[in-house]
This record gives sequence, structure tokens and C-alpha cells, in this order.
Amino acid sequence: MKINILAFGQIAEIAGSTEWESQDIENADNLRIYLEGNYPQLKSVKYSIAVNRRLIHGNEKFNDNDTVALLPPFSGG
Amino acid sequence: MKSNKKAGVFVDGAITPDFISRSIEKHSHKKNIGAHSIFLGQVRNDSIGSNEVSAIEYSAYYEMAEEKFSEIREDAFSRFSLTCMHIYHSTGLVNAGEISLFVFTSSVHRKDSTEACSYIVERIKAEVPVWGKEMFVEGSFSWKKQN
Repeated sequence: MKINILAFGQIAEIAGSTEWESQDIENADNLRIYLEGNYPQLKSVKYSIAVNRRLIHGNEKFNDNDTVALLPPFSGG
Repeated sequence: MKSNKKAGVFVDGAITPDFISRSIEKHSHKKNIGAHSIFLGQVRNDSIGSNEVSAIEYSAYYEMAEEKFSEIREDAFSRFSLTCMHIYHSTGLVNAGEISLFVFTSSVHRKDSTEACSYIVERIKAEVPVWGKEMFVEGSFSWKKQN
């Protein structure tokens, strides 16, 4: 199973990438563990997760080919 | 300043006073309108520590942002009696003193346009995935935090 990860703002800066694919991440909790293991700086950064452009709350399960976006706090306007 | 084809709301760079005045002028033939409300967000030269903000570079999750803008637009139309509504948000670099957000609501009577304008601005700030990178005069930067 594969998901497409998109990163924005400060998260993209920490990850050094705005878009990549990842295998075998089945849910939001797994994603956070994977991210914080690869990018320890993310432990101290607040971010929300959107799946296919919809914000999720809690440990939602992913489906194959989902687009999972990492969104730091919004600061538009 | 040109409109981003992919997105109706986003414009490259600052929103110019000329663009704003032309938007107002375009409504002169809609003679049932009795009130316009306009919100203009301007980039402020905040001081963060010893650094002064010279510009903000805006980026967005454009696909999701456009969906959010549509949702806010629909909600505002159903909540208030509006004749017209326009939202423009900058993407890319906007210097301090320039406009980065333009919300324009029109109605028959003033209450609807003023309340809708404020409602739309608050929802944009809270819900639309846009990020501002504050560029300092000295050359470094920090990620903008919402008030």
C-alpha cells in the first residue's frame, strides 16, 4: 500500500521535500511515528493532517493512493 | 498582478489599489446594491526580536484552499442576503505596506455586507491552508503565526 505525502510551510522545510511517496503507512498514528522518526524536529512542531484535502482528527485509517497532506498552523490573510 | 488560472482566488504578488478600484467600478451597473463592504489585509512591518519584516511570501495547498474558499463562499451566501461576493488572496511575495487579502461583499442593505465581510475574513484566517513566510530586512525569515 502506498500513500502520497505532501508537506507545506515549515514542515516542507524540515523534511527537505514537498512531495514524496511512502509505503506501508496504514493510519495517522503510524504516519506520525514515521515522520518523527525520520525528522525528529517535527516532534516540537504542530501540524494537522488532511487526507484527500479533508482534515482528519484522531487515528484515521488510510487507503491505497491517498494523498496525505501535512499542514502547519495556517497563517493566511 | 495576474490571476492564477488554476485558481479564481489567488493572485500573484500584491493586490494593487488599481485592481481594487476597478473591482468597485465593475459594480456600478448593479443598481440594486446599496452597500459594499471591503476588507483589505496589509502586510505589516512587524518586529520579531531585532528583526523587521520587509515582506511576506505566501504559499498554499492550492487545491484544498480553493475548495475551502468555495465552501466559505457558499456558507456566506446562505447565511447573509448578498448580491455579490469576491475574495482575492495573494500568493508569492508581498512587501510590507502592500495588500495581500481583498474581501468584497455587496448587498441591498448595509448589515448583510458588513457582517458577511467580517465572517468571511475570520473563516479564511482559521480554515484556509495558506502560509506566510516573514522575510526580514536582514535576510533571514520566520514562519508567520496567526494572531
